[in-house]
Amino acid sequence: MEVVRVFLCVLSVFVALVSDRFVVLAFFSQSLDSDFTFTLPAGRKECFYQTMKKDASLEIEYQVLDGAGLDVDFFISSPSGQVLFNGDYMFCFDNTFSSVSEKLIFFELILDNMETDEDPDDWKEYVHGTDILDMKLEDIMDTINNVKARLGKSLQIQTVLRAFEARDRNLQESNYDRVNFWSVINLIGMMLISAVQVYLVRSLFEDKKKIRT
Amino acid sequence: MMLSVPAAGIVLILAWINPSYALYFHIGETEKKCFIEEIPDETMVIGKYRTQLWDKHSNSFLAATPGLGMHVEIKDPDTKIILSRQYGSDGRFTFTSHTPGEHQICLHSNSTKMALFSGGKLRVHLDIQVGEHTNNYPEIAAKDKLTELQLRVRQLLDQIEQIQKEQNYQRYREERFRMTSESTNQRVLWWSIAQTLILIVTGVWQMKHLKSFFEAKKLV
Repeated sequence: MEVVRVFLCVLSVFVALVSDRFVVLAFFSQSLDSDFTFTLPAGRKECFYQTMKKDASLEIEYQVLDGAGLDVDFFISSPSGQVLFNGDYMFCFDNTFSSVSEKLIFFELILDNMETDEDPDDWKEYVHGTDILDMKLEDIMDTINNVKARLGKSLQIQTVLRAFEARDRNLQESNYDRVNFWSVINLIGMMLISAVQVYLVRSLFEDKKKIRT
Repeated sequence: MMLSVPAAGIVLILAWINPSYALYFHIGETEKKCFIEEIPDETMVIGKYRTQLWDKHSNSFLAATPGLGMHVEIKDPDTKIILSRQYGSDGRFTFTSHTPGEHQICLHSNSTKMALFSGGKLRVHLDIQVGEHTNNYPEIAAKDKLTELQLRVRQLLDQIEQIQKEQNYQRYREERFRMTSESTNQRVLWWSIAQTLILIVTGVWQMKHLKSFFEAKKLV
């Protein structure tokens, strides 16, 4: 049996270098956690790139959801071959070792500390009115931020669990197809073989009789 | 008309300039890249993309090439097309799911000018946001006239609602999964019994047939 490749990999990369990149604000602030699911055809390699900032961390989780041995080659390379560099990191999923089966791959990127300077949810200029109890407001805000971070984490874990379930479901569905297919082949095979056996044995005796006369 | 660039125009540009922290990948001229989003029903999905074209002369990627469009095609879990539209070099597409399941988002470039693609590579920055991440909180604050505290609590409520929706969807998926497993389990059992019976019947038939054959040939 082929070696079961590692199908879950957690990778953290810390980037630390001087950066004077100017962060452009947008109406829709960039989501820093993203997940994608795509089909990797047989014999192909797909690469994705992620721009990193100073002191940011990148965590990649991937899971092969469907396809043969549920395995894929994964590698990540830093820009210009240097280990700690500010720039575009490339990570690739390689399915060139398989010439027939396509793989369904899920991956999730979790970025931390990408915007160190300001709070991404700074809505001060969009809100109306003020809240009473200004002094306690900071504490309440801190608690709310805490809860928000935990809920975000829950959602991430939910996403990963969903990927696991999808993998198991695909496995079961392919089991089902296999059982159906091989049962039919088995049935046809048995009938054919028994007919052939009978025919061969009969033909052995018929030839002998012809030879005698 | 060209002279007076309205404020709305500037706002529009700002909306497209995302900090370049999005994931990007390279796409060939006729290549189609598809992504699958498995989502519960009544969930909104917003996708934003930005393209850059490889320029041989400056050996770098140029921004926002006019005339270069991307065709976006979105299929629902029943493989019915729910969105099939042409967008410019930067685009934003949005859809709401009506059935839970795997939706497929496909992008391919639709350039009519062959010369533009002579370098062969198009860089696509893509960001897909699902569920409560699609909510525009500044807009909600303005519409419902919320204070900051109220707005943050509203965000928490939206997050929890999304988690709950996912959990409901998970229950529905688990039921399907269980049915497939049980069906496979049953089929394996019935097929094993049937196979054994067929083998026995075939064996008995063979012996009987050959015995009568040999008796007819006066060998037994």
